[in-house]
Amino acid sequence: MSSSTVSVSAATPTLHPFQRKVDDIKPSKTDINFVIMDYLVSEGYPRAAERFAKEANLQLPHDEESIQSRVEIRRAIHVGDIDTAITKINDLNPQILDTDPALHFALLRLQLIELIRTCTSSATSDITPALNFASSQLAPRAATNQEFLRDLELTMSLLIFLPATETLQKELTELLEPSLRRNVASKVNEAVLTSMGAHGEARMRSVVRLRQWAETKARAAGKDIPPSLLLGLQDADERPANGNTEATDVMVQ
Amino acid sequence: MNARRESWARVAAAGSLGSNQGPARSGALSHLVNSNPTSHNRLSRSIDADSHHHHNNMSTSWGRAPSYNSQAGYWQGLGGSAQDMPPFFVPSYLRGSKHAEKLQESHKAKLVAQREYKSTHSPSTGSLSTSSSSVNLHKIAPSHRGLTHEVIERAPVFVDEPVAPWPTKWNEGDRFQQLHLEDGGRLAKFSGTQKTHDEAAAVRADFPMPRQCGIYYYEITVISKGKDGRMIGVGFSGPKVALSRIPGWEPDSYAYHGDDGQTFSNTTTGKSYGPKFGTLDVVGCGINFRTNTAFFTKNGHMLGTAFRDLKLNMPYYPTVGMKKPGETVRVNFGQEPFAFDIDKMVQDEKTAIQAEIARTKVYNAPEGEDALIHQLVGQYLAHDGYVETARAFSDEIVDEARALASDEDAEIPYRTAVEDMDALNRQKIRRAILEGDIDKALKHTTAYYPSVLRDNENIYFKLRCRKFIEMIRRCGELSAQCHPVPTPNSKRSTATTLNKRNSTATEEYDFEMELDEQLGVHNPPPSWDNKDDDLEDDDTEDKQARHQRATDETIGYGMELKAEFANDPRREVKKALEDTFALIAYTDARESSLAPLLEISGRVPVAEELNSAILVSLGKSSSAALERLIQQTEALVTELADDGGPGAFINVRRDFLY
Repeated sequence: MSSSTVSVSAATPTLHPFQRKVDDIKPSKTDINFVIMDYLVSEGYPRAAERFAKEANLQLPHDEESIQSRVEIRRAIHVGDIDTAITKINDLNPQILDTDPALHFALLRLQLIELIRTCTSSATSDITPALNFASSQLAPRAATNQEFLRDLELTMSLLIFLPATETLQKELTELLEPSLRRNVASKVNEAVLTSMGAHGEARMRSVVRLRQWAETKARAAGKDIPPSLLLGLQDADERPANGNTEATDVMVQ
Repeated sequence: MNARRESWARVAAAGSLGSNQGPARSGALSHLVNSNPTSHNRLSRSIDADSHHHHNNMSTSWGRAPSYNSQAGYWQGLGGSAQDMPPFFVPSYLRGSKHAEKLQESHKAKLVAQREYKSTHSPSTGSLSTSSSSVNLHKIAPSHRGLTHEVIERAPVFVDEPVAPWPTKWNEGDRFQQLHLEDGGRLAKFSGTQKTHDEAAAVRADFPMPRQCGIYYYEITVISKGKDGRMIGVGFSGPKVALSRIPGWEPDSYAYHGDDGQTFSNTTTGKSYGPKFGTLDVVGCGINFRTNTAFFTKNGHMLGTAFRDLKLNMPYYPTVGMKKPGETVRVNFGQEPFAFDIDKMVQDEKTAIQAEIARTKVYNAPEGEDALIHQLVGQYLAHDGYVETARAFSDEIVDEARALASDEDAEIPYRTAVEDMDALNRQKIRRAILEGDIDKALKHTTAYYPSVLRDNENIYFKLRCRKFIEMIRRCGELSAQCHPVPTPNSKRSTATTLNKRNSTATEEYDFEMELDEQLGVHNPPPSWDNKDDDLEDDDTEDKQARHQRATDETIGYGMELKAEFANDPRREVKKALEDTFALIAYTDARESSLAPLLEISGRVPVAEELNSAILVSLGKSSSAALERLIQQTEALVTELADDGGPGAFINVRRDFLY
């Protein structure tokens, strides 16, 4: 804000020089809106993307028909319905999994985990389906790749320890956490995007990482920056009414 | 905010309009009404020339816009100012870098200052350029994200600290007397005789190699190694190193010598390094400031690291020295393509750094990267009044989390953005501006946030100016309808756009009436944009009448605007008025060089600024967390670039936001 009317009580005497530099930078709203739209489209939030196009007067990118299938694939992976996910990916472009064995293996392993989960939680505890799936689908792939083999062995040991989840070691509990499905889903999403010639990763992610990287580097290089750089996400509603939140952010620390 | 002020400033290049207001307007008017292209009077032509000039300047000064197709550094045509300022060039490997952008901006600022000085000191600056320069703009215009808008919105960063320029030529004032310069300082030649065995003649460049470039590189070509020697040294040295000695032999002096292929640093004892070089060989010299190492190339081949542990605070000037009569060297600081593929070397460095960034784990987000991004997006949408989007996004996030948790009743960590009346009101105001209905925006703002326009006179002024621009847009549209291009589609397409407009306008019609009554406002019928009429009448005669009326109203409003702000002492207000009024000079301003002012995308910054002002008046932060994140990122990267660190290889906007 360069308006003279805005910064009435802003002149905090101890404003860090770095904070002044931060305040002097005026990001363009067009850029930010572009980053938001890019995020909504590439990470698959079609309804939000559509609304945003209207509200911000932007054009929806052309590949919108792919959003829906990407959302369905993501959803299928999230709920553990890997069969459906693989079918849908192949419908979209069979090359995607053919050319990325690691991704294909990750999906199959998720499917195995779901099978094990179902087997061990059922009353009969019949683990045959899981064993069959492992030997027919995963074992041939794992034979050629050390990393796959290790992953497969680890996954198979779930068969022994489940359903006693309390005593599982960390490596094994990680296999059961939703974050694994989320990670695989986002890798699949990226692969689909790349296969369509789109910018793979959402720019929003790159920017968030860039900030982290730059802060780490700057601190390591001993640059003169405040001990803590706040974004103001947490205390958005408890700001003093002086319009200069950056200053207070820093001062609070 | 800055942005607009600057753009106003730049557009109002002429500055002559104010003093000639009377004739300007009448001339412009006859123009507008008759729409006769031959009726250009002298004044409008001079506006034209000036604005084209301005244009020229604009299109050359934005680093991102042109696509350079040659490998060489590009030269900028500077119109009439070429004699006064050396042409600006960007070495190929620095194109798109942040430092190049900064230098370009400061160069442009200098040009503007110079032109303003000129225009106040010599009255006849017209007839400098012809309309061909507008071609540039048309190249820039089509873009999925509105580049033209960008041109207007993006402010040149006003650089408080001077931006370090890069070397452009050998320095006439920093040479040994035996050494003569030719060809604008690009050619250095040993003339005269060598007096003692140790004596040599060296010259330094006009500026040191800027650390902010990350890697700096230049090349020389040996034109002649002279009669009986090839004692030529290429390298760099500090500003105080004696010029009577061959480079490399003194403290703070580093060089690669042609006679023996050795490198010398700070001493007369050399180290064997590479091949010898002589006539017609191209030798390159570069410093990587990130690693504090220097390297040389010969005829396009990398010879490896020559020096390590360069001083961090010493300015190093490109330096060349020679000993024998006739020895001649020509330098290339990036004005021409390089023999060595330095572009690739810099690109590899960038790629490595970007890969490192991509691997970075976001550790200071307690709930992880995904959750942080969800919050950033949600908060931005709510903060900036994208109410519908915020709602849809929050629904989709919750859906996603449910699916993941495989449990319908799972606790969803995402906090739904708080909705309030303010968000809805701000959304309404924004929509009105984005639709070009400035009156409605003014009315809503006055009703909901009475203090905002009072306290932010500059925003009020910009809204009024924008209304004027919208009126001119309207005139242009009507004028186009009066003289329809004889294509069968023209009528229908006009009708559909009008239809569209109408439907968005009627949605809030009742509310409008209600609000009018509440406020006791009786607005004169907004006939300059009377949507109902548009639909009913297709008559050319009616259209002409309406065009006439719209023109009259536009002029009337313009007078009002002028009366209200003419005595405003602020320079930017004066400029903005001048710019806006300059638009009337055109039959169809959309075809003119001032067309960027008319872009619909110009509504966006006005809407954003008003939104921010409202937020501030409500005691909320004027910028969203995402905005702050980008600000911090830029500032941090700048910190990492100033000393030639890894930040020098990053252009946040170009590499990450685009």
